[in-house]
Amino acid sequence: MDKVKIGTCWLDGCSGCHMSLLDIDESIVGVLRKADIVFGPLVDAQEWPEGVDVAVIEGAVSSQDDLKLVQTARARSRYLIALGDCAVTGNVPSMRNGIPVRKLLERVYVEGADESAGVPTDGVPPLLRQAEPIRQAVKVDLHVPGCPPRPNAILMVLSELLEGREPDLGSKLRFG
Amino acid sequence: MRIADIAAFAAVREAGLAKLLPSRPRIAVGMGTCGSGNGAEAVYHAFKSAIDRHGLDVQLAPVGCFGFCAEEPLVNVWAPGRPLLMLRRVQPHHTDAILDAIGHGGLPPAETILGKIEAWDHLTGHIKYGSGYPDVPLWSDVPFFHGQVKIVLRNCGLVNPDDIEEYIAVGGYQALYKVLIDQNPAAVIEQVKAAKLRGRGGAGFLTGNKWEFLAKAPGPDKYLVCNADEGDPGAYMNRNEIESDPHSLLEGMLIAGFVTGARRGIVYVRAEYPLAVMRLEQAIDQAREYGVLGDNVLGRGFAFDIDLVEGAGAFVCGEETALIESLEGKSGRPRTRPPFPAQRGLFGRPTNINNVETWYNVAPIVSKGPAWFTETGSPKSAGTKVFSLVGKVQNTGLVEMPLGTPLSTFIYDIGGGGTSGRDIKAVQTGGPSGGCIPADMFDTPVDYETLAQLGSIMGSGGMVVMDADNCMVDVARYFIEFTHAESCGKCVPCRVGLDKALRMLNRFTQGVATQDDIPLLDELCRMVRDTSLCGLGQSAPNPVLTSLRHFRHEFEDHIVAKRCRAGVCQDLALSPCENSCPLHMNIPRFLQLYNEGRLEDAFLSVVMDNPLPASTGRVCQHPCDNRCRRAGIDEPVNMRDVHRLIADEILLSDRFDAVVERVRERRLEPTGREVAIVGAGPTGLACAYYLALFGHSVVVYDSRPAAGGMLRYALPEYRLPKAALDREIELIERMGVRFQFNVDVGNDISLNDLAHQHDAVFLAIGTWKEGWVYLPGTELTGVIPALPFLEAVARNDEVPVGSKVVVIGGGNAAIDSARTARRLGAEVTVVYRRERRDMPAIPEEIEAAEHEGVRVAYLAAPHRIVGDKSGQVRALEAVRTKPGEFDASGRRKPVPTDEVIRIECDTVILAVGEKVDPDFCRASGLTLNEDGTMVVDRYSLETSRERFYAGGDLITGASNVSNAMGYGKKAARNIDKRLMGQKRFAQLLPEFVYSMEPPESPAEVGRHTPPEAPAAQRVQSYQEVSLGLTPVAALEETSRCLRCDIRSSER
Amino acid sequence: MTEKVKVRIDGEVISATAGQTILEVARANNKYIPALCYMEGLTSVGACRLCMVEVSGVAKLVPACTTPVQEGQAVATTSPQLDSYRKIALELLFAERNHVCAVCVSSGHCELQTLAQEHGVTHVRYPYSCPRLPVDTTHPRYVLDHNRCVLCGRCVRTCAEIEGAHVWDVAGRGITSHLVSELQRPWGEATSCTSCGKCVQACPTGAMAEKGWGVEEMTKHRTVVSRLTSMREGS
Repeated sequence: MDKVKIGTCWLDGCSGCHMSLLDIDESIVGVLRKADIVFGPLVDAQEWPEGVDVAVIEGAVSSQDDLKLVQTARARSRYLIALGDCAVTGNVPSMRNGIPVRKLLERVYVEGADESAGVPTDGVPPLLRQAEPIRQAVKVDLHVPGCPPRPNAILMVLSELLEGREPDLGSKLRFG
Repeated sequence: MRIADIAAFAAVREAGLAKLLPSRPRIAVGMGTCGSGNGAEAVYHAFKSAIDRHGLDVQLAPVGCFGFCAEEPLVNVWAPGRPLLMLRRVQPHHTDAILDAIGHGGLPPAETILGKIEAWDHLTGHIKYGSGYPDVPLWSDVPFFHGQVKIVLRNCGLVNPDDIEEYIAVGGYQALYKVLIDQNPAAVIEQVKAAKLRGRGGAGFLTGNKWEFLAKAPGPDKYLVCNADEGDPGAYMNRNEIESDPHSLLEGMLIAGFVTGARRGIVYVRAEYPLAVMRLEQAIDQAREYGVLGDNVLGRGFAFDIDLVEGAGAFVCGEETALIESLEGKSGRPRTRPPFPAQRGLFGRPTNINNVETWYNVAPIVSKGPAWFTETGSPKSAGTKVFSLVGKVQNTGLVEMPLGTPLSTFIYDIGGGGTSGRDIKAVQTGGPSGGCIPADMFDTPVDYETLAQLGSIMGSGGMVVMDADNCMVDVARYFIEFTHAESCGKCVPCRVGLDKALRMLNRFTQGVATQDDIPLLDELCRMVRDTSLCGLGQSAPNPVLTSLRHFRHEFEDHIVAKRCRAGVCQDLALSPCENSCPLHMNIPRFLQLYNEGRLEDAFLSVVMDNPLPASTGRVCQHPCDNRCRRAGIDEPVNMRDVHRLIADEILLSDRFDAVVERVRERRLEPTGREVAIVGAGPTGLACAYYLALFGHSVVVYDSRPAAGGMLRYALPEYRLPKAALDREIELIERMGVRFQFNVDVGNDISLNDLAHQHDAVFLAIGTWKEGWVYLPGTELTGVIPALPFLEAVARNDEVPVGSKVVVIGGGNAAIDSARTARRLGAEVTVVYRRERRDMPAIPEEIEAAEHEGVRVAYLAAPHRIVGDKSGQVRALEAVRTKPGEFDASGRRKPVPTDEVIRIECDTVILAVGEKVDPDFCRASGLTLNEDGTMVVDRYSLETSRERFYAGGDLITGASNVSNAMGYGKKAARNIDKRLMGQKRFAQLLPEFVYSMEPPESPAEVGRHTPPEAPAAQRVQSYQEVSLGLTPVAALEETSRCLRCDIRSSER
Repeated sequence: MTEKVKVRIDGEVISATAGQTILEVARANNKYIPALCYMEGLTSVGACRLCMVEVSGVAKLVPACTTPVQEGQAVATTSPQLDSYRKIALELLFAERNHVCAVCVSSGHCELQTLAQEHGVTHVRYPYSCPRLPVDTTHPRYVLDHNRCVLCGRCVRTCAEIEGAHVWDVAGRGITSHLVSELQRPWGEATSCTSCGKCVQACPTGAMAEKGWGVEEMTKHRTVVSRLTSMREGS
């Protein structure tokens, strides 16, 4: 039987959810017996591949690049998980949402800079008007809240999916 | 003068009668807020100065409003012994004529006369005005008033609201007097209970029961409150009741005070009603002065007083517990019940709150008894209700009708149907938190229970009528915007739920909502309805829930097609004209390009939107005219004739080849995909053109020998010269479209074969099967259907038309047949069973036909065709009809009379509609609707068979050229998307650079209409009737455009 | 003299005192009905609508916190519809303001957060409002963060009914409703505030907190109000 293909990525987040994923410790061996991680921060692939079974997305959709990446991931994956509060609610990245982008950038790069004051434009993707939960950009199949979600919750979700079952989160998880 | 005994009461009554029916003429001007807003003050002063100037012995009085808002200012004039005349739209310049008329026993100017009243039942008293004026209709025969029962409004517009004596003259305060003399409070409560009077504020709780609660509550400190915080947009019945008849309110409260043991009454009026506040204050002062209010009411030892409190205009204060909080000086937020106000209300004391209108029913019930009251209305909802009928109906105003009256009576009989003949779509009852009821449910009786079943409410009696120009999504959004702003913010569902519902609805109107939003919004609204604390939140979702139930397709249009058919949601339309155009032509663009002197660019703009611009420029039904905002200034821009000129200037000139090349340059790379199109009519041609531009290989099959369909074979040459059509078809052919003529798909080649040979098939056969009616005599020689007749003429075949022709029907085919027969030298009469305004044919065409000597017999329903022994037509007999009730289409049903008319003739042309050929459809194996049209997906136009698409008349039934082409264009986009997996339409369009500055001052000239060939000359030949605009006129026409396509952000 | 009534809650027959509300009776008998604006010892206002229950014979849902029990009443505290409505109410509260649990002093001790977890709210389906709201830090010991306020009004009633100072009230209406202290003065300048801190303890979320605590560090003494009222009744 072919192994399940898992892709992961982080958008506007702190990588804490990926850390939590790694914190499932030796259980990851069991996961990798049944699945391949075909895309992610530790994988060489430059582009989200076709035919992914499970997409695990961390972080809010905050920039044009985030939007493109999550749209590609959605188009090329069967099942998509929003992992962690930033992906689920917008969380800390969304705390800027009440402030217009232009003012925000000026506050950081002009008023807050000692030297070479100026908003960078090269090599950085333009920000969206607001940092949004993933479900505002694409259809999400499962939300796993938490900042970060606890490792055993992530393990439970992956194990259930690898067994071909829809994970039942019940009242196991909370925001924050 | 204090009334202390019966004698004093009678004296006041006599004094009042002397004012109401004086020994000299009386003129009463309707001076409610509505009348004053329409100039009643000026009319009143004009009368006053004329009376003073001429020293006339005429009594002048202000009164309230009689309810017919559309006809304000209303004035009553009365001369002793004659009926009271109701005058409408009275202006200051009418005053002399009116005064002169009543001075001499004559009639005022005819345009002001509405109706007469010979006697009036004030329920508590009776007034006999007199008789006469045989030619003036009784007020109750005026359609707006027909069927109205004035219980609540018994005194409105007839007595002077500022004069307690006039109120007493019509029997006012008699019911109170009786109650005070009888000294039997329990009996009065029983009467009100037996009358089944229900609260008129909307909830419909039984008033008698509420009074009983209060009467049983212990202690001397109890309050009666009148809720006059009427805050619904479009509702103003309470305002009018107080402005026109304040004493009836006081009397109702006084009676309730006596029977419930309350000693204090409070009227909570919104401060936005200054006139109502003023009149009520005056009435209270007068009542105190006459001893009707105070320590010793009418000398019977009963103490009761009433105060007036002005509310600051919070909608939620109409909710009784919020109103109590407001009266206590707190911010108006509702409390939870229990405890109910009857237990712990104002200042913690037992309190009874009733709506203004409820109080107005009290005195008549006491006077005439509960049995009389329950005669009116439905079994569960007795009596009447005042409704404010507003929106898209001809007659607007306050209407008092028995409960249980069907909605259709309000909208069609009283309201007079839609404005300027438009179809009415829905009515919203009950104010901003009422529901929308669709037109096909207008037989619904208006009572508390039935409205609730439909998801609406009685509310305060608002009735807002909506037609095709109203977008139901926007209507729902508008009302949620209102209720969300008026939410007090106390409970979560109302405060946050309505805010989220508004945000979601905004997403619909902006075209960014998704399919998932519909169930999400539905569930949210149910939650707000079921869990909110007070009536505001519980009813606020009604407009959304009912719109989702009855107009779900409109929500889906906004999501899937990103279209707002009504053209209301601006984010989804370029401009009103573009939105109304079935081809969605960028009309402002070609107007501007032509205006900039860029004819070829203008043509390119036109032809990229519409491949048959010369034909549609002549025969389109031009829905754009109905939407043009210029009509608000003078008349709509003549867009159709400008694009006809642009088309003619290129198509019929030597610039044709060069422009064809520019269009060919827009073609995308060849795709290698092949599409078959069945039918070379406008639908098929439009589809073929765009598919060819997309780079597909296209073959069009048609059973006739040339392309054009109805354009070629049904439209007479005088409307559409075939030379123009030929050029258009040549252009389409030069895009690479191939034609296979004289091929009968179904017989010569099967649909299965087409499916095998092509990647997609588009079916666009028109409605060539002539409709047939059951009419004795259709078998006679000389009876011919319209389409074969027109086709024979178009082919120059021998046409068997006699010298006297009758055409049966009212559509374009009927008028075309009539005008063609006229050109063949016949005398022609068109017979149509309804009125002219109901005719589906283009109005200009009917007018042109009449100029050419075609007679039209309206209101005549063909009854039989009479033949002679040889089987030849001799005459047509028709039954004269009269306009009857309104039917589901909003037109009056023709009702046959006994009169039969006979029209001698030798030919009868039947133009009673065309249908899809059922044999073809059945043979196709595709799923059909009951009416024989083909089932397709509303948005993709795909049929029940994969890769088979259909459009035009085949899916709609007989329609018109532009609609048909719109489907062809839409099908091409969808077929291309299906074949290529992406949306490519935008790639076809060239970029046009043209001025996006709004015109500083649009040209002040009126609309240009093209000259026509003289009627006498044109009936001699088939020369084109409309001569088209001249380039100079067209240029001026383009500068009349207001450029609605420019958004402020682009400036 | 107290009249006894018998009611049935989720099928179990329970004896109660007339005048008690459904919520009081349920809680006294270990039947859980969620609530946010309700607090033992304060007047009930029925604002959060989380305690809506089904009562046999009554077509509408009723708030358990303000509806008195009646003899023979049968109450259902849960049903698929009630669960769905409670979930929506919680989602609405999260979407109304900026409840960023990850950086909140009350995370882990927050009633809103706990209710969401109990009801399986893993995400919010409605668009977030993301309003810009102030944080009032003018009081020397306490802080008011409007971003976390759910307008339950517990602080308002605690201050008015228990402390008798009535520093707090709700101004504005609809979605712009907001908490104000003493005629719109900053909390630190509110002369009627006794700095007793009971409002802080009554607050279900991190909207009111003591200064000096970090994320997840602010725990509250929920029973302050009920202990005070019961002691006063006893005296």
